[in-house]
Order: sequence, then C-alpha cells, then structure tokens
Amino acid sequence: MKETILKLDNVTKVYPNGTVANRDINMEFEKGEIHSIVGENGAGKSTLMKVIFGIERPSSGTVTYKGEETHFNSSMDAIKAGIGMVHQHFMLIPSFSIVDNIILGDEPTKSVFIDQKEAARRCQELSDKYDFELDVNAKVSTLSVAKRQKVEILKTLYRNAELIILDEPTSVLTPQETEKLFNQLRFFKEQGHTIIFISHKLEEVKQISDKISVIRNGVSKGTYLNEELSMEQLTNLIIGRDLDNDMDEYKTHEDFHHQNALEIKDLYMEQNGKPVLDNISFAVKCGEILGVAGVEGNGQQQLVKCITGLEETAYTGDIVICGKRVNELNIKGRRDGGMAYIPEDRMGDGVAGQLPISDNLISTYYTREDINSKLFMDSKKIAAVSDNLIKTFAVKTKSADAPVNSLSGGNVQKVVVAREYNTDSKFMIAEQPTHGIDIGSAEFVHHKLIEMRNAGAGILLVSADLNEVMALSDRIIVMFNGQIAGYFPDANKVGESELGMYMLGAKHQSAEEIGGALND
Amino acid sequence: MLSSILSTLFTMRFLLTIIRMATPILFAALGAFIAASTGIGNIAIESIMTFAALAGVLGSYLTGSAWAGVVFGMVVGVLTVMLIAFFSMKLGADAFLIMIALNTFADAVAIFILYQITGDKGTTASLTTPILGSVDIPVIKDIPIIGEILSGHYILTYLCWLLIIVMFIVIYKTPLGMRMRACGLNADAAKTAGVNVERLQVLSLVLSGIFAALGGVYLSLNYLKIFSKGMVSGQGWMGVAANGIANGNYWMLVLSGLVFAVFRAVSIIFSSNSAFPTDLVGAIPYFSVFVILTVVSIVNYYRVKRGKVEGQ
Repeated sequence: MKETILKLDNVTKVYPNGTVANRDINMEFEKGEIHSIVGENGAGKSTLMKVIFGIERPSSGTVTYKGEETHFNSSMDAIKAGIGMVHQHFMLIPSFSIVDNIILGDEPTKSVFIDQKEAARRCQELSDKYDFELDVNAKVSTLSVAKRQKVEILKTLYRNAELIILDEPTSVLTPQETEKLFNQLRFFKEQGHTIIFISHKLEEVKQISDKISVIRNGVSKGTYLNEELSMEQLTNLIIGRDLDNDMDEYKTHEDFHHQNALEIKDLYMEQNGKPVLDNISFAVKCGEILGVAGVEGNGQQQLVKCITGLEETAYTGDIVICGKRVNELNIKGRRDGGMAYIPEDRMGDGVAGQLPISDNLISTYYTREDINSKLFMDSKKIAAVSDNLIKTFAVKTKSADAPVNSLSGGNVQKVVVAREYNTDSKFMIAEQPTHGIDIGSAEFVHHKLIEMRNAGAGILLVSADLNEVMALSDRIIVMFNGQIAGYFPDANKVGESELGMYMLGAKHQSAEEIGGALND
Repeated sequence: MLSSILSTLFTMRFLLTIIRMATPILFAALGAFIAASTGIGNIAIESIMTFAALAGVLGSYLTGSAWAGVVFGMVVGVLTVMLIAFFSMKLGADAFLIMIALNTFADAVAIFILYQITGDKGTTASLTTPILGSVDIPVIKDIPIIGEILSGHYILTYLCWLLIIVMFIVIYKTPLGMRMRACGLNADAAKTAGVNVERLQVLSLVLSGIFAALGGVYLSLNYLKIFSKGMVSGQGWMGVAANGIANGNYWMLVLSGLVFAVFRAVSIIFSSNSAFPTDLVGAIPYFSVFVILTVVSIVNYYRVKRGKVEGQ
C-alpha cells in the first residue's frame, strides 16, 4: 500500500465574480508517483494548482497534505510544508546569478550578511547531485530556456520540496531536452519526490505519467492509470468529443506560388556585440505556410520584430512584403502593404485588455471605410463586423461589449486571430499562435490559418511547438544562434528528432542547401 | 574673462561649495533610489523635503533641541509616505497622482503653517531655534589641504556619506537588500520565492521618506539655519533625476548627484560675480539637469540602435 501525500476532497473554488473554476474535485496523489493533470485551458487546472500551492483558498472542500488538513495563507506556507512549483512563465530575475535566484527568500547568512560562499556551495552541490550541469555563478540572463527551467527546479529542491508541481514544463523545450527532463523527473521519483505534471501535450503525458487525472469545465473526469487509457479515450475525456486531427485534407495551393508574400535577403543585426540575426535569407510564397522552428532565443523574436517594424536596433538587409521593400516603413505602413500579425504576447501586444471585444476586433484597421461614417466611427457598422466575427470564430462571450480580459486565453487568441484574419492580408506572421491555449481553440486557430493559406495568403509560422510547426507547415526552416541551420523543402519528409538536432546546433546544413529557403 | 572663470572654479572654496550642495541632492537621490529598488517611483521627494524642512525648525523651536527637530522632520517624512501608501495601496488611488498633488501644494501648505505660527509668510527668522553645527575632525583637521577638504563640514553631511556607504552594504550584501531588489526586478518572482513584496515596498517607501526628510532638515537646521519659502527649489527633483540616470546602478547614482551639485556650486559662485546676469546664472543647475537627461537618453537610444543593449 502506497502512502498518500496529497488528497483533495470536494474542492470547489468560486471566484468573487461568480465563475466556478473548480467544482467538487476529488483527487489523490501518492508519494513517489508522476501524476499528470490534463484538461483544456480554462478547464480549471491552474486554479486547482493555485489552491494546492496556497495562492488561492478553496471556497469549500479540503486539501489534506501528509495527513493534515492545510490552511495555507500564501505560497510561503506551501513552500514551508514542502510543496514546490515550477511556473509556466519562469519566475526568475535575469540580472541575478543562478545562486541568488535560488536562495532568494531563504538566504544562508553570516552575521547579517549573505554568505555567498556557502550559498554557492549548496547550489553547486544540488546541481551536481541531480546532474544539472550548471555553473551556479552564471547570470540567468545568459542561460538557455532549458537551463532556466533547471534553475526553477533547483529552487524547489533547495527548499526541500517533496511535492513538485510542473506547469507546462515542456512547452519551451526541444524533443531532446524534453527527453532529458523526463529522465530527471524519473530520477526525482526514485528519490521519493512526487511530481504533478501539467501539460496539454498528450503524447508526453502518456510517456511520463504513472497516473492521469482529467479536468473538464472545472469538474474532475476521473483519475486513471496510464496503461488503462488509450490516446483516443484521453482526448475524448478532455474535450468531450473526438478531435479532427487530419490536416492533410488541405492541400497546398500551388496556383499562388509564383508570387512571394515575404522576401528576406541577407538580414543581419547585432546586439550586445554579437550577431543575433546572421545573414538570414528566405521567402514565404503566397499560398504556403513556412514554419520557423527553433528553441526560443535563437533570433526568432528579433526576426519577427524586424519584419513587423517593432525592432529598435538597426539592421541591414532587405525586407520585402508583397513585392515592396518595407525597411523604411513603420508598422502601419507595413500593415497597409499587406501584413497581418498575430503576436506572441497575446495580452501585452495582441489586445488592449480593458477595452471591449468589439474594439479589439477592429483595432488594426479602424480607419477602414467600411466601419466609418464621414467624420466619426460608425458604431452600428462596428457592431455588425464584430458580431459576425464573434460568431464565425466561436468566441465564448455574452456580449461584444465585455472587456477582452474577461475572456479565457483561448478566446482572447480567437479575438486576435479573427481581427488579423479580417484584414484580408496577403501576408501573415503567426508567432506562437497557440501557445498556452486549449486544444479546442488551438485546433480552431490551425484551421483558420490553413483556410487563409488556401485562399492564397503566405504565412510565416514561428513556433516553439514542434508538433505545430510540423503539422501546419509546407516548408520548414530551423533557426539556431541567429542563423538558418536547416531548410526542409517538404515538411512531411522530416522527423521530429531530425529537426531537434538542428535546433540544438548538432547539425548544420551547407549554404547551398539553405539557399533553397529563398530560391525554391 | 575665461581666466577669471577658471580661477574661480579651481579654488578650495568651489570644492567646499560642491560638498555643501551635494548633501541634500544625495539625500534625495538615496530616497528615490531605495524606493525604486522595490519598484516604486517616489516622485514626492521634493514635497517631503519641504515638509520636513519646516517641521525640523518647528520641532527644534518647540523642544529646544536641534536633534529633536531632526527627528520631528523624519517623522513628518514618514507620515507623508504613509499617506501615499495608504491612498495608493489601501484605497487603490494612482500613486503618481497623489505625489503630484503633494508636490503641487507642498509650498503653499508650508507657508500657511508658517504664517499661522510665526505670522511671517517668508521665513522662520523670527523664531530662535537651536541648530546643528559643523564637525572638526581631530588630527585630520590639522593636515594641510586634506584637513580642509575632509574636516569642518556640517554634521548631516557626514551622516549623508555614512548613509551612502551603509545603504550600499544593506542593498547589495544583506538578505533584506537582495529581496528588495528582487521586488523591483520581478515582483512575481519575489512573491513566489516567498518574499512579502508589499511589506518590503512599504519599508522602502518609509526609508525613502526618512532620507528625503534628512535632506530637508539639512537645509533648514544645518545649512541655511532657518526655513524659508521655496528653499528646496528643485533639489528633490535633482535627486529623482539622478536616480533616473543611475537606472539601478548605485555608484552612478552618487556620481550623478555629485554632477548636479557641481552645477549648483557653479551657479552659486558665479552669482556673487556681478559680471554675469543673476537670473541666467541661477538657471544653470536646472539647465544642467535638462541637458544631462537629454544627453543620457540620446546615448541610450543609440546604444539600442547600435545593438549594444537590447531595447524594450
């Protein structure tokens, strides 16, 4: 008989605005198991984790940790009790060293001063014990995403966490890095740690878990042993229906291919004294999706900023959108020239959170004639446009006048995609278009992107999610260290681990092979 | 002409003036910096200095002790920041608006109180108050030149430099300082590491109020020895500007404060020379703030443009 470490009994969480995030959740976690929690975004996973981690208090029901009912007032109490959490968005201070990030809040001291030597020794010891290969005196800003995640995990281990919650830990990792993380998780398990693994990547959940719990619409759909659940059953439990996963019914529309939606020639830019974009050249044809794969921080962000006109650092090379050189144009000029953009930072760059959905649905083309009267904006026409978009994009809201930040992540993203879709642009940049949103919404966004491609738009898809890049793209380029490390003219003929090798810099194609990205 | 300017500048008197001018600006800069370290922009430094300057004189007059006056000023400084904290953190008002309001009515309130108590709308000259003196350091004061530079300053000037060193150690070498900096750099990260962000922010604001108040009482109890209308005259703002230039770099903060003090000293030295129009000379320190801030932002712009640092 295994020992129960955490038990949830009828946990219900109702937010003050009446939203029921969790309803009568019962779950049991045993010591030394890897227990996954899956569910769509807005299903209530995050709220449940907040309840366990002491950030939120349950409205009713009890949480029992190590046989005692918990009354955590803050995450501090949870940490003291031995619960650690690795957040999806890293909680690190880039300008601090690894040591300082780890010890923050629990510093070893010598009289009144921080004992830096002792701190470094302890951190290095931990890192070595778990084979993390970190130089603990390095600044976090110099680390790759995978290493930053290790720092986050070390933070929990430093505080002697026995139960570690990992929130979407693989969303930023390459297949190889994910494999490494999983090995480490298995090692933690052997050491007696309990892991709660939250993810929407079902293959990974199947790969790593001992048990799987499903949450749908705030209600628990049961806990299952991994072996007793097939992928289809799991999907069905999560979304309550079968997923239409077959993207192949859409074929590339070669009729549009004689035109280029985007051409990049010899793009070069330096930051902090080293090249972050190193002679990038490629083209996006009309009627195709070009996928950009790569670990975050290898120049993709800067590339997108250069194309959209958001980049502040000077660069050289040519950026041509729909046949027109746009280097000197501002963002509006580029949009007028046929560019649409789905930004990565949905809440920060994608929408104005406090404004109504209807305003956010027109904010990139509010000067267009069809929504304006002679002098003023025409609220009737705007309402017609937004109601139509809300309907076709199935945005879940009671009213178009509700502020957009009252929506769930998936629905906010639908608003962004609907707006950009409605610009009828010939060129679209989709930057992490489904990052952190639920499967249903992600599927919807994917279909819309494909629909745009089939209608003749050229789409540049930048994503850290390899499955997404491989499923949607016609051609793929891989970025590593500011360069194009690999070019794959047929996305169907390349495997995940092959791409992973290029993403990690283990492989690099010759200049002629990469040249195909521009000239094919 | 030029040689007369140079000969005025390279004198001991000029150096000593810089040290005198630097004290209130450095107090103000420290106040702005400590608040900014936890992520709070304290732009009420100027008004806190005004309130504390008056409170210091009144406290000294009422108790008959200059040090009690200093404490009185510090208490008023703390009360002012607590008012800001209460309105912004408890009642949810915009902190910047509250601070702008404070700055706007500080002078008028000070004069109102001054008039109620002394019947004078300009200064506290009618009150006989104990004041703080200067310190001669034994032995050192007898060393030629060095003695003149290091010894004989106002007592709060020494306190200021002591505070600069102590605060450096607190901010960069102690757990408290590390947690405060963490709040300013990434409040969520600090919170999830178990740091009580709100409490540290209040603490930093209180310290900020105390430092600014010390700048104020320096002016009224140590340097000018009376409270007079408009005596703070932008020195609090210079501290805020120095903090803006420093951008989290402690020694850059001290350097910026000293640079502003140099321009104030230039202005003072030249105002006694009738060859220059006094209004123009009086504008030098303010003009220097404008020029330095402009130059710093232009330099930063080109650093981003040339890829030396990443833009926001």
